[in-house]
Amino acid sequence: MIQADQILNTVAMIQRENLDVRAVTMGISLLDCRGATIAETCGKIRAKIVACAGSLVATCDTVGEQYAVPVVNKRIAVTPISEVGAGYTSSELVQIAQALDAATAEVGCDLIGGFSANVESGVSRADQALIDALPAALVSTQRVCASINAASTRYGLNMDAVAQLGHTIKDMAGRSADQGGFAAAKFVVFANQPTDVPFMAGASHGANQPEVVINIGVSGPGVVARALERQLEQSTRPLGLHDLADIIKRAAFRVTCCGELIGRQVADALNVPFGIVDLSLAPTPNVGDSIGEILKILGVDAIGAPGSTAIVAMLNDAVKKGGAFASQSVGGLSGAFIPVCEDRELALAAEAGSLTIEKLEAMTSVCSVGLDMIAVPGSVDAETLAALIADELAIGMINHKTTAVRIIPVPGKEAGDTVTFGGLFGASVIMPIRNVGQSTRFVRFGGKIPAPIHSLRN
Amino acid sequence: MNDTSHHKQYVITILSRDRVGIIADVSGAISALEGDIADLRESVLRGYLTMILLVTFPVSQTAEAIRHSLQAINTQRADMPPLDVIVRPADDALPAGQSSIPDDAYILTATGSDRIGFVASVSGFCARHNINILDLSTAVSEGAYTMILLVDLSQRSDIADIRRQLQAFGQESGLSLVLQHYAIFKTTNEIGMI
Repeated sequence: MIQADQILNTVAMIQRENLDVRAVTMGISLLDCRGATIAETCGKIRAKIVACAGSLVATCDTVGEQYAVPVVNKRIAVTPISEVGAGYTSSELVQIAQALDAATAEVGCDLIGGFSANVESGVSRADQALIDALPAALVSTQRVCASINAASTRYGLNMDAVAQLGHTIKDMAGRSADQGGFAAAKFVVFANQPTDVPFMAGASHGANQPEVVINIGVSGPGVVARALERQLEQSTRPLGLHDLADIIKRAAFRVTCCGELIGRQVADALNVPFGIVDLSLAPTPNVGDSIGEILKILGVDAIGAPGSTAIVAMLNDAVKKGGAFASQSVGGLSGAFIPVCEDRELALAAEAGSLTIEKLEAMTSVCSVGLDMIAVPGSVDAETLAALIADELAIGMINHKTTAVRIIPVPGKEAGDTVTFGGLFGASVIMPIRNVGQSTRFVRFGGKIPAPIHSLRN
Repeated sequence: MNDTSHHKQYVITILSRDRVGIIADVSGAISALEGDIADLRESVLRGYLTMILLVTFPVSQTAEAIRHSLQAINTQRADMPPLDVIVRPADDALPAGQSSIPDDAYILTATGSDRIGFVASVSGFCARHNINILDLSTAVSEGAYTMILLVDLSQRSDIADIRRQLQAFGQESGLSLVLQHYAIFKTTNEIGMI
């Protein structure tokens, strides 16, 4: 029998500290969904998604109820559509996006990822059609998320693609101006994109994955924050950062154990293999569910102050150490997220001016995943956006890690204004970009930044 | 194992003030009577010790002789009251010890201010709703009184139904009730042996 204090602590973790499973994402291969016509292809895609994920939501709810640990988001990731839809025109690919949207609504999931392409080493005709389709696809759907992998440690950084994506992002934001450029919040550009990410907007189901799989993302900022607060309050001796790292590690272990238990139950009930646990601390705009709050507990009074990067490095590493032992298979992004709009404390720090894009960029060099959910003035030019993306992808390419950019140039808004996307997408002040328009010559060179020397590992 | 035709099993309960050596004295007295301890549980609550034992004795030993021998244990000590001892022949029809926790065990915690009838009210709820209590303890934390029950819901089919009944019971009794699957506690608190 487990001891009374352990039972009471565990009850507190679940009841008061926002412990949940943040995302259960079903990966589905669509490679066998090609029909003779676009209508037939769309029909096959819909049928397969409904057949595989038809009971996903009900199963997650039943398991969540049985264990009293809620599964907050139920999602779908599919084979990159550039592979499924190769040969179709961009307007036909938009139809596929709409079929994905309808099928996702039909099974009751909130988001579907995989309107994606990998252009790290060059843009194929299919990739180009998908990039051309992005603005219309994201504006004409509610639930579809898109991603482009434009760089990797192995193949370098495709600047032709990045330069183009600067315009693509401007275009999708412009076409969704009435929603604050929200379409851009459903699109992310990657370096070293994993093929098993359960989190949006970067989820997709790579060609190396099984037919169908269940991947999960754990929760945890609340649990980690409360565990730190409790120990700092109750400890009879002064705690060093090594002690605090150990507390984070233990909290991450417990959170991950719960996530893995629930995820495997869902996978078993659906008779689908269990893939990976993504050990990312994923914040939400809710009070008490913030990465920024953890930074403050760990000793910076303003998020973005010197020390913030070191704290994020320690946090990210401790979460991995705790989670890796708790799970049989870790994957996805696995690191602390710092999405500004989606994290209340980060959004407040951006508003107060303590957290800048440059500091965020520095922090992303030691955590996952990148410049995430950052609202910038709609007037920023495409080349400046592309150059910002290039900086972030270069960090990932050189450091053998995943980095990404999800940036929203909010039409008609300037730095200091605010934008609200609602729900999990949150709200934020528009953050200023310094030196706008000063990177045009760099971006217009185009071509590729060659893969780094340490890509030559054979 | 003892030959059943020449041996007889007894269930023994003992209540005593806790002290160093009490278990050694009890088990020593049982050995002296050629008793073989088959199973034993012991618990200490605020200075009082209680034990329940299943012991096999040669048929020549009577229940009265066993009780007499155990009661003599504290008589040499002026500072200790004598042991309270009950000895009964064991019923062979009962199942032989179930120590493992069933798959669908849950932990029910009930928290509220200390008052008369707290335990009766919660255990009464369990009895009315066909919830078998496997283990029970109480804890006082932050001024609140908490009952921790390990319960078996295998005789119930609908967990959602139980949660609704619990919620209603919580509202009428003013207790904070949480029902959580045992697997959650196990996975977050134990690194299991392989």
